[in-house]
Amino acid sequence: MIRKEEIRKRLELNAELAVAVLESFIRDAARTADAQGMVVGLSGGVDSALSTALAVHALGPEKVHAFFLPYSASTSESRRDAEATAESLGVDLPEIDITSMIDPYFDKYEPDADRLRRGNKMARERMSILFDQAKKKGCLVLGTSNKTEILLGYSTIFGDNASSINPLGDLYKQQVWQLAKHLDLPSAVIDKKPSADLWPGQTDEDELGFEYALADEVLYLMFDRGLAPDEVVARGYEAAVVEKIQELEQRNRFKRRLMLVARLSGSAINLDREIPRD
Amino acid sequence: MTTQLTVGLAQLDSRLGQIEVNLGCHLEWIERAREKGVELLIFPELSLTGYRLLHLTGRVALRRNAPQIERLVQAAGRMSIIVGIVEEDDKGVLYNSSLLIHGGQVNHVHRKLYLPTYGIFQEGRFFGPGDTLELAQTDNRHLGMLICEDLWHPHLARSLAIAGAKMLTVLSAGPGRVGSGNVPESHRDWESLTRSTALVNTCWVLYCNRVGWEEGSFYTGGSHIVRPGGEVMARAPYLDEHLLVAEIDLREVDRLRWRLPLVRAVRTDIKGAR
Repeated sequence: MIRKEEIRKRLELNAELAVAVLESFIRDAARTADAQGMVVGLSGGVDSALSTALAVHALGPEKVHAFFLPYSASTSESRRDAEATAESLGVDLPEIDITSMIDPYFDKYEPDADRLRRGNKMARERMSILFDQAKKKGCLVLGTSNKTEILLGYSTIFGDNASSINPLGDLYKQQVWQLAKHLDLPSAVIDKKPSADLWPGQTDEDELGFEYALADEVLYLMFDRGLAPDEVVARGYEAAVVEKIQELEQRNRFKRRLMLVARLSGSAINLDREIPRD
Repeated sequence: MTTQLTVGLAQLDSRLGQIEVNLGCHLEWIERAREKGVELLIFPELSLTGYRLLHLTGRVALRRNAPQIERLVQAAGRMSIIVGIVEEDDKGVLYNSSLLIHGGQVNHVHRKLYLPTYGIFQEGRFFGPGDTLELAQTDNRHLGMLICEDLWHPHLARSLAIAGAKMLTVLSAGPGRVGSGNVPESHRDWESLTRSTALVNTCWVLYCNRVGWEEGSFYTGGSHIVRPGGEVMARAPYLDEHLLVAEIDLREVDRLRWRLPLVRAVRTDIKGAR
């Protein structure tokens, strides 16, 4: 039986090897797609910082095009941390303010929209800009979603979870932190509370109701190791938290399997005909 | 007759579904190996087509007399080479095969016997399983050929050793996993297996794994040569393409077996559990 106190240890990676593998992933994807480089949105958080750092190590700073895409409510901390990341990696950080692309829609048509809907639209606006920039530059859009948030569905479908390639998608949040430290990313970026920065004072962990470090362990036991929820609880995890995590994981599965096609023909895309994308 | 043999493991990356591109690479690597005096050159599993073909499998299938194979025969000349192909038989069944080109012709074909169909592996959906295990028909009949998952079923290596194999070639497309160690976790498992195979069968094991990425999964590399007895003699790096060349002596097998007669001691008359 895996004991609770051993689990965090099991999530530790050999950072040097993991970084080498992820860099080779980015190089291979660029080569396979005949792309000129990567486009990425730097938010000031640790996920986008790590993705950008991996791309810079893989391709060189001149082939990585980072953008800062703030909304009027974005904090000055986000800007400061995104700039520190860009500076430490030697990449430029042009800014495109999305406020004037978000507000007119809600002002004119949906003034009563809640902050979740507004946040989703911001995420999709950023995606839309990044894909446009990628088209312009002949680049791929570099994803920044980690395994924890993908499994919890803590993302906007076709927003921040959309990308051409995602080097972080099989890294739990604490593994993201581990690799970020290994690559000497700015400590302000690593140490701060994770936030989608959708409204002032928002933190992911407040909104989710549990800490990432805990979610990582529960998800590892259920998803990677195949334990049933009661077996996870038996290892000392709080039942309510395990239940909440399981519920999020199940409810948001649709976000992980994009393009659900109704099968009629017997040769449906991705169901009957699995053609590799490489 | 000399028992020394210069072998080469062509740890390369294949482009998925692009036979002509891959064939060009094979021809280049054959030339590189020739310059290094290689007599037996081994490519990875499905080296000519890439591995994760899914519904592209049928589109890249070749018969044994396909023009691409003939070009490899011509390029090989006096060198022996083993390549991985999708093979189509007369009935249209597809196999995950390894082809030994030796003496100016296709000398032996091994059709993968165990097709992994679990986790990320889908081979049983697209390939038929081979049904025959034989030594290659080289002059001295000392060569046994296996493909990847075949090695995880140790009776196959054992049967080849009993039949007279002194070296086993294992073509692989082994996907990598990263954990806390400084070696890919998947490689640690493979090396346990190749070393134990060489140990209990007292034979050479030549393990050729590919590198590169397909569909978000990477192949580890780390191709290696294990001495009879289980010591790793040479190992290619992880992740990067590499031509690993080494000289092996088949006589080493005989010398070890004289003092460690494990293969000769095999009994088939033991009653009970099967």
